[in-house]
Amino acid sequence: MQHPELERLQQLLQDQAYITDQSIVLSVFLARQLNKPLLVEGPAGVGKTEIAKVMARAMDTELIRLQCYEGLDATHALYEWNYQHQLLYLKMLEKQDTSPEEMERSLFDDRFLLKRPLLQAITHHKAPLLLIDEVDRADEEFESFLLEVLSDWQISIPEIGTIKATHIPQVILTSNRVRELSEALRRRCLYLWIDYPDYDKELAIVRQKVPDIDARLSEQICGFMQEVRKQRLEKVPGVAETLDWAMALANLHIDHLDKELVSATLGIILKDWQDIRQTQMSLSELFERVGAISKLDVNG
Amino acid sequence: MDRELIVRRTSLSENILGFCRYLRHKDFRIGPAEEADALLAMETLGPFANPDIFRLSLRAVLARTRAQQLVFDELYSEYWCELEKAVDSKIKDAPEEKPKPKPAAGNFQSIKDWLNKNNKKDEESEAAAYSALATSGKKSFEGFSDDELTEIMRIIRRAAKPLTLQFNRRKQRARRPGDFDLRQTLRRNLRRGGDILELVYNKPKKHRPQLVLLCDVSKSMDLYSKFLVQFMYGFQRVVSRVETFVFSTSLQRITNQLNKNSFEHTLEELSLTVPGWSGGTRIGESLQTFVEDYGRRLLSRRTLVLIMSDGWDTGEPEVMEAAMASIHRQASKVIWVNPLAGSPGYEPTVRGLQAALPYIDLFVAAYDVESLRRNLII
Repeated sequence: MQHPELERLQQLLQDQAYITDQSIVLSVFLARQLNKPLLVEGPAGVGKTEIAKVMARAMDTELIRLQCYEGLDATHALYEWNYQHQLLYLKMLEKQDTSPEEMERSLFDDRFLLKRPLLQAITHHKAPLLLIDEVDRADEEFESFLLEVLSDWQISIPEIGTIKATHIPQVILTSNRVRELSEALRRRCLYLWIDYPDYDKELAIVRQKVPDIDARLSEQICGFMQEVRKQRLEKVPGVAETLDWAMALANLHIDHLDKELVSATLGIILKDWQDIRQTQMSLSELFERVGAISKLDVNG
Repeated sequence: MDRELIVRRTSLSENILGFCRYLRHKDFRIGPAEEADALLAMETLGPFANPDIFRLSLRAVLARTRAQQLVFDELYSEYWCELEKAVDSKIKDAPEEKPKPKPAAGNFQSIKDWLNKNNKKDEESEAAAYSALATSGKKSFEGFSDDELTEIMRIIRRAAKPLTLQFNRRKQRARRPGDFDLRQTLRRNLRRGGDILELVYNKPKKHRPQLVLLCDVSKSMDLYSKFLVQFMYGFQRVVSRVETFVFSTSLQRITNQLNKNSFEHTLEELSLTVPGWSGGTRIGESLQTFVEDYGRRLLSRRTLVLIMSDGWDTGEPEVMEAAMASIHRQASKVIWVNPLAGSPGYEPTVRGLQAALPYIDLFVAAYDVESLRRNLII
């Protein structure tokens, strides 16, 4: 890395205990510079959501999160009127002597407006970081609605009028590729694919997150994970699983891997019984291959 | 110095635009907005000497899907290497050196020539790759036309509807106005003192049926393998909850391989990962494996099982009978699709099939698109 600003950003992310590589740093940097949403795709458990959290901390701004799910609609993403509150207020007003115009004005007041994440992001006093998580889970209708908001940065509420963003939020969208996203949404965003980390990166992550782990154990764990991922599995374990495993083994004060131990703790990294069965059967072979990388105790 | 820089930058931006044009040629969707982004990205990054940053930032701006990212690097090096030759390594020039000005039209012409040349080379190497695949003993799927695939999907879509439609008298809440749910409306608005503010609608609850496809890929089915793949792929695309298995001597789940984005990818995955293609047949044992390993999870009153096979079984008919009985008992319907059944004078006399026959709800013939249309749309 020779670019001073990129280096600074990388350092900033590193300070937040997030191990990156050049393509991630560059995408984040460009997304900020060009003021475009960043679409992050990749397999589960590689730290897609984490990017947003780390970035929010690094930028020292608030993280507003919109978790998408099937059936998510505009009212849950934008705003809702607090009907019950309004009704109670109306009943109270009836006892007093207020004109209908006055009543109407006070009824659609800011305090009865329930701000949902998108409206929150727009009206925030400082440009926040808006995380739209697992956007592929929401349906297509919501996606096109999202497109409109992301391009205009304004929301119209019939009773109040149009609210325009004072600061354009930095947006990060994540997707697990459950459904193909529309071309239109893709074109609005910069694209970043995060893959499973390579051996060195994963080792750095493990050592960063589990500082008191035995040096040899961490090497073996990462070597083993690299090999496990090469198998054909139903659910390939991500970095999160590696960290769980490392954490568990470090807590047990174990300093090296052996077959029995791996076999007994396989449930931490593999979450499908067929995967476990398959891995258990090819454990010896896996160990041999890992041994070549990190001098694993094959006879252990 | 200043003037020189400008000259260099304009030629660089021209080259970037040229690169965008080249990518468009390679089926990247790039419009003026993306071109502007690319130029803007270069501007924010400023002058630098690291070609890696240059490549990565162009990739971040121009590649929009995983597939595009994967081919991007190759296209990138192809383009800029060629350009370097054409422009006499202008980008790599040290700032002190005087850039050698060349007419822009010349650049594009040379790129264009090279593009055309390169295209031909691509085709040749692709053809070579295909034949290599066939001789290496792996299954190669050739000659699938897009039209046929679209047609098959259309038929399956129509056929799957009646097959998977299940009536339910229960109702569920609906977001869009439909049937009016008086009881819920009153109840909900009671909270606010009975002023009707909110209306509640409902709609018939939909059953989400599970479809299980079991396909025979043994040697005797070889003739129909092309149709088989289309069939499996089509179902996987069209029906939302499908699990697909293939069997010859053993059973293999291929749902994930079929879920690849494009048909080409699917074919590639299948030819790489299905080992028993064109092997022997042990239908009974394969079905038994299915019942044991997946039956609990997949078979229920909502499950429709589709078996595609000619029924040539080399195993014991008792195994077959037991497995079929078990599937029949647990699933809602068992349909056997037989490619041979269409030929005149065909009788299901195969021993294995005889054993299975009592447990089949529907016996249909399908061996190509046409017969599928005739027989599956009931």
